[in-house]
Amino acid sequence: MVRRAFTDYYARAGLAVAILCLLTSGCSEPPKASAKRDLVIWGVLLGPDSKGQEAVIHEFERRHPEVHVRLLSMGAGRMDPQKLMTSIVGNVAPDVINQDRFTISDWASRKAFLPLDDLIRQDIELGTRPPVREDYYSGAWEEAMYEGSVYAIPSAADNRILYWNKGRFRDRASELRAAGLDPNRAPRTWSEVLAYSKVLTEFGPSGEIVKAGFLPNYQDAWLYLYAFQTNSQFISPDGRRSTMATPEAAEALAFMVEGYDQVGGYAKARAFESGFRTQSFNPFIIGTLAMKIDGDWNLNALSRYGPHVDIGVAPPPVPDDRLARKGRYEGEKDAFVTWSGGFSLAIPRGARNVADAWEYIKFASSKEAILLEAEAQRKWERHRGRTYIPHQVANREANEELFRRYRPADKKFAEALRVHIDMAAASRTRPATFVGQLLWSEHVRAMDSAISHKASPMEALRAAERTVQRDLDAHFERERYQNVSLAVPAWIGAGLATFLLLGVITWYRRQRLSPIARSETKWAFLFMSPWLVGFFVLTLGPMVASLFFSFTQYDVLNEARWVGGKNYADLVGSDWLYVKKSLTNVAYLGAIGVPLGIATGLAVAMLLNNATRGMRFFRTIFYMPAIVPAVASASLWIWVLTSDPSKGLINSGWVKSLTPWLGIAPPAWLASPDWSKNALILMGLWGAGSGMVLWLAGLKGISTSLYEAASIDGASPTKLFTNVTLPQLSPIIFFNVVMGFIFAVQEFDRMYLLSPSSVGTIGPDDSLLTPVFILFKNGFAFFKMGYASAIAWGIFAIVLILTLIQFRLAPKWVHYEADR
Amino acid sequence: MTPTTLHISATILFWSGLAAAFLVLARLARRTPSSSVGTLFLALLALATIAMGNAITFAKSGLQLPLVWPVMPFSAWLAAASFAIALIRTLQTFIQVERAERRARFQAAILWASLGFLMVLVYGLDSENSVKLLTGGIPMSIPLVLAVLGLALAFILVTVATNWSASSRGWPLAVARYASLLVGSVVFGLPFIFLLITSFKEDRDMSSAGGIVWVPRVQQTMPLFDKANPLYEVGHDSQRLKGVVVETLPQNRVRLEILEPKSMQGRTIEAAHSDLKEIPRNAHLVTLPTSAGGGRGAVVRELEDGKRRVRSLTTGEETDFEPAEVEPIREVGLRWQNYPEALSFLPPETRSGLVYLRNTLILVVLSVIGAVISSSLVAYAFARMRFPGRDVLFGVLLATMMLPGAVTMLPQFLVFRSLGWIDTLLPLWVPAFLGTAFNIFLLRQFLRGVPMELEDSARIDGCSYLRSFWSVMLPQIKPALAAISVWTFIGAWNNFMGAIIYVNSPEKMPLSYALQLYMGDRNGEPGLLMAFTTMTMVPVLILFFFAQKYFIEGITLSGFGGR
Repeated sequence: MVRRAFTDYYARAGLAVAILCLLTSGCSEPPKASAKRDLVIWGVLLGPDSKGQEAVIHEFERRHPEVHVRLLSMGAGRMDPQKLMTSIVGNVAPDVINQDRFTISDWASRKAFLPLDDLIRQDIELGTRPPVREDYYSGAWEEAMYEGSVYAIPSAADNRILYWNKGRFRDRASELRAAGLDPNRAPRTWSEVLAYSKVLTEFGPSGEIVKAGFLPNYQDAWLYLYAFQTNSQFISPDGRRSTMATPEAAEALAFMVEGYDQVGGYAKARAFESGFRTQSFNPFIIGTLAMKIDGDWNLNALSRYGPHVDIGVAPPPVPDDRLARKGRYEGEKDAFVTWSGGFSLAIPRGARNVADAWEYIKFASSKEAILLEAEAQRKWERHRGRTYIPHQVANREANEELFRRYRPADKKFAEALRVHIDMAAASRTRPATFVGQLLWSEHVRAMDSAISHKASPMEALRAAERTVQRDLDAHFERERYQNVSLAVPAWIGAGLATFLLLGVITWYRRQRLSPIARSETKWAFLFMSPWLVGFFVLTLGPMVASLFFSFTQYDVLNEARWVGGKNYADLVGSDWLYVKKSLTNVAYLGAIGVPLGIATGLAVAMLLNNATRGMRFFRTIFYMPAIVPAVASASLWIWVLTSDPSKGLINSGWVKSLTPWLGIAPPAWLASPDWSKNALILMGLWGAGSGMVLWLAGLKGISTSLYEAASIDGASPTKLFTNVTLPQLSPIIFFNVVMGFIFAVQEFDRMYLLSPSSVGTIGPDDSLLTPVFILFKNGFAFFKMGYASAIAWGIFAIVLILTLIQFRLAPKWVHYEADR
Repeated sequence: MTPTTLHISATILFWSGLAAAFLVLARLARRTPSSSVGTLFLALLALATIAMGNAITFAKSGLQLPLVWPVMPFSAWLAAASFAIALIRTLQTFIQVERAERRARFQAAILWASLGFLMVLVYGLDSENSVKLLTGGIPMSIPLVLAVLGLALAFILVTVATNWSASSRGWPLAVARYASLLVGSVVFGLPFIFLLITSFKEDRDMSSAGGIVWVPRVQQTMPLFDKANPLYEVGHDSQRLKGVVVETLPQNRVRLEILEPKSMQGRTIEAAHSDLKEIPRNAHLVTLPTSAGGGRGAVVRELEDGKRRVRSLTTGEETDFEPAEVEPIREVGLRWQNYPEALSFLPPETRSGLVYLRNTLILVVLSVIGAVISSSLVAYAFARMRFPGRDVLFGVLLATMMLPGAVTMLPQFLVFRSLGWIDTLLPLWVPAFLGTAFNIFLLRQFLRGVPMELEDSARIDGCSYLRSFWSVMLPQIKPALAAISVWTFIGAWNNFMGAIIYVNSPEKMPLSYALQLYMGDRNGEPGLLMAFTTMTMVPVLILFFFAQKYFIEGITLSGFGGR
């Protein structure tokens, strides 16, 4: 009877699920055109803003009816290298990738992209005209080359210029004049821009920025722009030395620091910036930001949301000496310089359909396709009632042609585009080096720490320089280390396993088991076989491998080299500051988050303990947040924690209570280095109500006689709590503390969700960096298997030490019933 | 006295007075046998301190509840807390009668004090640290005063009622408890409400100067035929498409540019003119400016220069206006279109996200089946079978629970890579079939609790191990199996780390990963994002409501329930 009900239960559940699966799969099998060749393209964002791109793809499909183009339209592969790298290493690479150009040499150096020289040569021999250097802006083409080979064909190009809101300048005309500044022109030099910014910045009653003049890194300037203006180069010409910490670069960074100090500091600026998530509230359009450095892509938003805003454009301001061509700028050709980046199309190694990929790249980068794209986008924009403003491309001729054909009717936009195109000749590109992405990350980190005054510009740059240099050295010195075949550990492992197996078998022989016991043993091992397989294949084997890797330099695509303890030395040596940061972060999360979480769960449980009526209802409410998927919870909390009080749930309450009561301005939460961890703790507390279940069970387990006895002795409620409840619950508290700390050390998911880029800082000023995040970045974005494995063992050691310490301390305060 | 110290002392006076007042009420409520003179004295003292506290701040800024809040770094808080505890322990030293007790208290006091000094040292090391005292107060508006008075009145009433009957002695406490529970559930439930409301809001309501918009409103529309640029509906590949004619072709055919569905937006198709069916557009209703005669109008078209062409509903005249001149007519309502629109941005091969759901379901079902079968089999061997080396193996199993996932993450990737499993769902569910240490441990505990006689009798009847496991033991541990199933379900539904490492193509992505990518792409459109978020959440929440018992009671099975 019991059995029947049991099987019935499972059968019914299974049937329901099977039907659901059938339903969803039946209607969802994508139509497979078996005769067609698939061409997988990554890094293309589909949507209303890329109708032109779609048109190019449709046209390509029309001309090559045997090819079926498949796009990974969502996010992955654009700036995040992790996805692309795992796919290349995992042999499931896409055929074409639309990749940020400055990273090309990085990928090429790791042999992750195919060199295109052979394909180009082949075309020339056949008499068809492939894309060649002469067609492109030289910087763009250079950026896509590595060690003399072409690895990608440039597609889009961009550069940055100064946009200024003429209306805002007019509003403050008298103040500007009083400060000796002309309200009718844009600043040309650094000192001018700072002077203008000072007048144009206004503060609110609690010191928050209401209107800002100029934020050096708003949108897309970065340190690169200002560093190029001082002629700094972050890499020596031979590519072997990192030269970030030069007086010139420090001067550029110092300018950024000053720019932020002038508007009240980086924290305030971030709070101001993070209030503007949507374009319709773009601060430049609504007039709360007077000047910004931005690329041509922002013209679309300007024409849509602020067609009547009186904007002016100018080349980005440069150092005063540069404009005057004094000092080290004497004889300089370009008075104004800017930096240019952009995208390019490449073929990853392991692409299955190289021939069609090359055809597609050639077509997509041809002038014909560029004009087709522009025409399709223009039609689409006109259709939805918007102005079309062409994007810049790296193909010189096509870029000019675009301007001729699609020059915006509005004079100010046409002028802006003209300035962008003219500046293309005076643009600098980021150095073509295999440490390009690291250089970018480190330059962002240096910038962050300098402008938030964690370090002086020179110190910050030095730290960045050291990190970059380490990778350069690792590359150039790799010959010093011996190649090590991966077969060696595999053989050693296999040998050990055989030895172990033989040992176990002989041991069992010696046991002289009775036939019944022998059969039982056989059955037991059969029953355990799933776990045994899992243990050897997914736990023990990987552990041994990981230990081995931690002494090597291994990136999967190239052979491994034995480096001894270097990885561990780096961990506590050159990377120590970075590692320390991640450890302080998890220590903070653990030290504050874990006790608060325990207190929340216990408090809810205490409240619910005696409440019989409505118990189920309250229990459901408090438990629900715990089952919300982590991604959904992050997606929700990013909005709950938005710092703009007109949108963020928490800050909208804050400005109505704490601000008028105590004069505390609302924090920027995730956008502020000091508050981002608190934001995470808050998120954690939301889910901590579920812990009450365990506490409730614990509370129910406390015998009432203890309370009665204590009450008779005249104990007050607080006494009862501290002297009866807490000691009785101490084993559960202990369990939660241990698990909480182990969990905190291994945190990763939430940080990844809140700061998904594996480039740059993790959270402002790396405030959300965790050890596992470092491992993930090194392991899956750069496939530095060796270094990542060393980190993994470091994490293991920490977890072990923490647990041991807690077990040591436990007898001091944990009360076990059995002890008495 | 500086104004700050004055304010601080006023605050302390006020709040201690309030605490005293509460104490008086509590005394009355509990009817503690104490002298009424003492209570009266306390009440007078309370009133006096409240009055004094307010009098000091009142002169400055009107009637308010004075507040003080220290802003200081973590080390300073720790130091303050340590010193406070040390102080309490020192006081206790004097009160304690027993010598041993006294010594223990004294030692504790010294320990805490030294920790406090250590923290002061830590605090001193950081030059940026500073302690600030914020002073202010909650201004007493009329509703606030009424609310406070109402609360006090309610409290007094309850207290009096309690005094009348002995049976309702616990009332004040129960009231306080339920009040806190209610406040707590509002706090915990608010993000959900925010999520739901946001998912039904128009873009315009996403932000407002007055704070969060809690009542969404939607743009009113009316069907409108635009003679100059008619909208057509046409059947194409079993889909209904909406679009406009962009080109007239020979033989009575036309080229149509598609507007809906969104996934085909901007593409053109050819169609016979006879197949087209003119349908009305949903024109937005607006209020016309008084300069143009006022009244209502319908937006005929958005023009390229940003203006809106509006047809007056009274005169039928069409005029071009700046967007700011015409005020949209909106009424309270839910913008449910956010939901279909959110799905329409997904890649076409995912069939409006159904593929994601299918992948997640596959993952969830296989993981649950795998976890239940393999973990119970292994647990059975550990719990009920005797074989040499069992305890050693069990120790190894327990030890693997300690191992951080980070250690095996990279080599596991290489293992699955050599199997050719990258960009498949296999690495996400196959491990479930190999057992999880925690599940095995839990089931073993349970299986050990099943009476031996049951299995013995089955064995005597000639059941094989497999048979007795399946027919006798499994039904006995149903609750534990249910708990494991539920946890595995949640784990698999949320598994996102696995997906970012192993899955690349859209048609293989589970929901969790799809949502993460969606977050990146549609960051600027909270309505769509929240709608998609809600959709990924709903299935788990539904499961939770039906299987609540296993969720909640399952946790208590983890070894502490029957302590």
